[in-house]
Amino acid sequence: MGDKLKQIINQQGAQQSTATLDQSDDIVQLVGFIIGEEEYAVPILAIQEIIKPFAWTRVPQVPAYVLGVFNLRGSVIPLIDLRVKFGLQLKNHNEETRFFVLKQGDEVAGFVIDKLTAAIRIKKENIGPAPDTINGNDTMIDGVGKQEDRIITILKVDKLLERDF
Amino acid sequence: MDEFQEILQDFLVESFELVEKLDEDLVELENTPEDLELLNGIFRVAHTVKGASSFLNFDVLTHLTHHMEDVLNKARHGDLIITPDIMDVVLESIDLMKALLNTIRDTSADAGIDVADCVIKLDKISGGDGDVPMPTPKVVETPVIEEKVVVEETVAEDEPDYDNMAPDELEAEIEKLLSQRQEEDRIKREAKIEAGEPVLEAPHIEDEAEEDVVAQPPIPTVVPVTVPVAVQKTPVAPKKAKVEEPKGDAKAAAPTKRAPATVEQTIRVDVKRLDHLMNLIGELVLAKNRLIKINDDVEERYEGEEFLEELNQVVSIVSLVTTDLQIAVMKTRMLPIGKVFNKFPRMIRDLTRELNKKIELEISGEDTELDKSIVEEIGDPLVHIIRNSCDHGIEIPSVRLESGKPETGTITLKAYNEGNQIVIQIDDDGKGLDAEMLKDKAMEKGLITEKEADSMSEKEAFLLIMKPGFSTAASVTNVSGRGVGMDVVKTNIDKVNGIIDVESKKDEGTSMKLKIPLTLAIIQALLVGVQEEYYAIPLASVLETVRISRDEIYSVEGRSVMRLRDDVLSLVHIGDIFEVERILDASEHAYVVVLGLGTSKLGLIVDTLVGQEEIVIKSLGDYLKGIEGIAGATIRGDGGVTLIVDVVALMEMAKGVKAMAMIDGSSGDAVSSEKTKSSDYTIMIVDDSKTDRMIMHKALEPLGMTLVEASDGQEALSILKQGEHNFDCMLVDIEMPRMDGYTLATEIKKYNKYKNLPLIAVTSRTGKSDRMRGVESGMVEYITKPYSADYLSSVVQRNVKFKSEFL
Repeated sequence: MGDKLKQIINQQGAQQSTATLDQSDDIVQLVGFIIGEEEYAVPILAIQEIIKPFAWTRVPQVPAYVLGVFNLRGSVIPLIDLRVKFGLQLKNHNEETRFFVLKQGDEVAGFVIDKLTAAIRIKKENIGPAPDTINGNDTMIDGVGKQEDRIITILKVDKLLERDF
Repeated sequence: MDEFQEILQDFLVESFELVEKLDEDLVELENTPEDLELLNGIFRVAHTVKGASSFLNFDVLTHLTHHMEDVLNKARHGDLIITPDIMDVVLESIDLMKALLNTIRDTSADAGIDVADCVIKLDKISGGDGDVPMPTPKVVETPVIEEKVVVEETVAEDEPDYDNMAPDELEAEIEKLLSQRQEEDRIKREAKIEAGEPVLEAPHIEDEAEEDVVAQPPIPTVVPVTVPVAVQKTPVAPKKAKVEEPKGDAKAAAPTKRAPATVEQTIRVDVKRLDHLMNLIGELVLAKNRLIKINDDVEERYEGEEFLEELNQVVSIVSLVTTDLQIAVMKTRMLPIGKVFNKFPRMIRDLTRELNKKIELEISGEDTELDKSIVEEIGDPLVHIIRNSCDHGIEIPSVRLESGKPETGTITLKAYNEGNQIVIQIDDDGKGLDAEMLKDKAMEKGLITEKEADSMSEKEAFLLIMKPGFSTAASVTNVSGRGVGMDVVKTNIDKVNGIIDVESKKDEGTSMKLKIPLTLAIIQALLVGVQEEYYAIPLASVLETVRISRDEIYSVEGRSVMRLRDDVLSLVHIGDIFEVERILDASEHAYVVVLGLGTSKLGLIVDTLVGQEEIVIKSLGDYLKGIEGIAGATIRGDGGVTLIVDVVALMEMAKGVKAMAMIDGSSGDAVSSEKTKSSDYTIMIVDDSKTDRMIMHKALEPLGMTLVEASDGQEALSILKQGEHNFDCMLVDIEMPRMDGYTLATEIKKYNKYKNLPLIAVTSRTGKSDRMRGVESGMVEYITKPYSADYLSSVVQRNVKFKSEFL
């Protein structure tokens, strides 16, 4: 039994060490999701959790993309629909809809996304700047990640969590 | 002795607090030796400790602090520059002070620490010659310092007596005392030897009676003693001394008999931790609410089952303990309001001198306790109110005499509990407020219009003094007149959800009441419903609720009003304020929540009254903060979030709401739009079994209706809420995971919109009680499995009033 346990621990250790090997500085870990037709991503560390949709409470006098607030284990957290925020039509939630709970510092908010894709590891050199047409600091786009077959828009978490009304 | 102990404890708590801060200050002082503020602070510490210790007869401590004070006083007046050398001595003296305080804490006496060196140094610094007389410690307990005891006690016994004694008596007395002393010393030495400590030779004491108290102490640092012990100056001293001495001896011999002064059992806790604790309690309260709700549900469902009673007990215990816990934690955050009141006597003294008035301040109820955060908030408002009373309220003595009042004006400041609130009342017997004059002033400054002034009641006029930019003082003085101040009062009191009430009679005085909630975190609230939404209204602002019928609502100048007894109450629908989409509003009656805030009232029309509940206020976070009309949110028993109404803001908003949709509420017709083809009919099939759904689907397909499927109650409910389809009928299975059919039906029927939506139970449960439950939860039909496709189809057709021409 002891041997077996040791084996397992060793295995885990080995896995961890290989993981850390991979984790060199020029790799960025992201979580990808789809809104409308496009794929977006946010840094994995900014994500507090990803949950299935549940009931929320409407809040008056806010822009349409703020759906309201919901209860996340005792905390009241705003819920923002990224479809509406990105100028798309409000869509009913379905099996694939998820709430992304993003956190930066003390700021926490839930974001409705259409579909979760995958955790993405991408080399820094494969991330380009936001297109020139999108100007300066106002943009929510941090950069554009290129992978073999797709292009992923990486979003700025602080901009997402920033109140703009 | 008990009283002494009590004072001693207070003294110790205070001193340790002071000394603690002193350390920081001194460190800073080294860097900025010219900082007068800092020096003053340190001086005050020395001074305070000196005052208290002399009162408590800690002579050594007094002696030390007195000299510290001298040095610091000089430095404070600029007669002395604090050089690092001087600083060293000051620091040394503070270390000694700390050591002395520790000794006092442990032994209730200040003996055993040698301060002479330091005192001499201090004296030299402050310009003395370093020749400082020393008091002796009176009581000594620890063996290490026994030698000193010997000196001191001998001195105490003998020194003042001999003047008044006959030679014989004197001789006898000395004999007796000597033998006593020698015996004592012997015992002590033995004890010491036992303890394995080196024994010093006991001092010689033979000649002490003749000499004027110059004992040669064995410890070189003890200086000659010149301070006699006062008790023995009376003629009957010998006897008294004898009475006294055994006591002293007893103390010396058995130090443990006198319990060390236990410092009051307090600990300092970071407020953040308390806040965290409070948050956790908040969670617990929410969980408790939830548990109660579940208990109710279970009770309903399993009526008469045995385990129910047990569950009931547990729930009530949890609920009880939670409430107690909440109160206990709330109490840890409570501070007596005296902390704020204390600074006012001084302020009044200063103000009377400045204003040439005679004013007396009477304070009562300073023990009343308030949440720490509130205590911090009300300090400023009170300063402003009292300044205002002094400056504007109380007249100058000559005027007072003329109007037949006593020359000295009185301001009373009192605090008391009233229900869930604390009331702080500030009364003065000054000239009072003049409503007309206030209105004129306000108009002059453009704060109100003439029209507003005309319709203003006296009480409302009094509240004008709280408006920013308003001042009635003819000239700007140091004290007031700048037009800031009273608005600070309002802002701060609003911040803590408090209410200000001003009453005044011309020439008789003004009374101001600040009503403040006990705590900020947990409040009682009235829950109201509008359409499918719920809102919580702080109960403190709710005066009453009334049920009215539609024709009791009148329209005046485009606003809705109603008669409430003798008053006319303006009305506003909560839905108009919070942009609630009103779909169906068939009810003939409405509920009006009468909100009161100070003197203004408002009727808030709501659809339903849910009830009173204890709620925990949670902030909406930075992202959503500052939404007008919303003070925060709370989490309800069912886990949902309910918004809390900000009554102050709501009343402001109500002024802007003109449209009164209440009267045309009957036009909610969007739901039953005309059906033009069979696919306009939409049916929802709710069943957890895919096969069953398929069977129903197959049975209804020929009708050509739109069919939507859901696999359980929750899913069905969320599909319904999304509002993509207008359902004409729902087929509901009873046994389902997550949310069963009964619950689903009950939930659906909560919404006005779906009151008339036919729900058809399709189930294999055939019991009579099952059918009853179905009816209770709002099902219109009950189809038992198995059923024929035709039967299902016909039931559905009947319920949706299917037009046969579509077939």
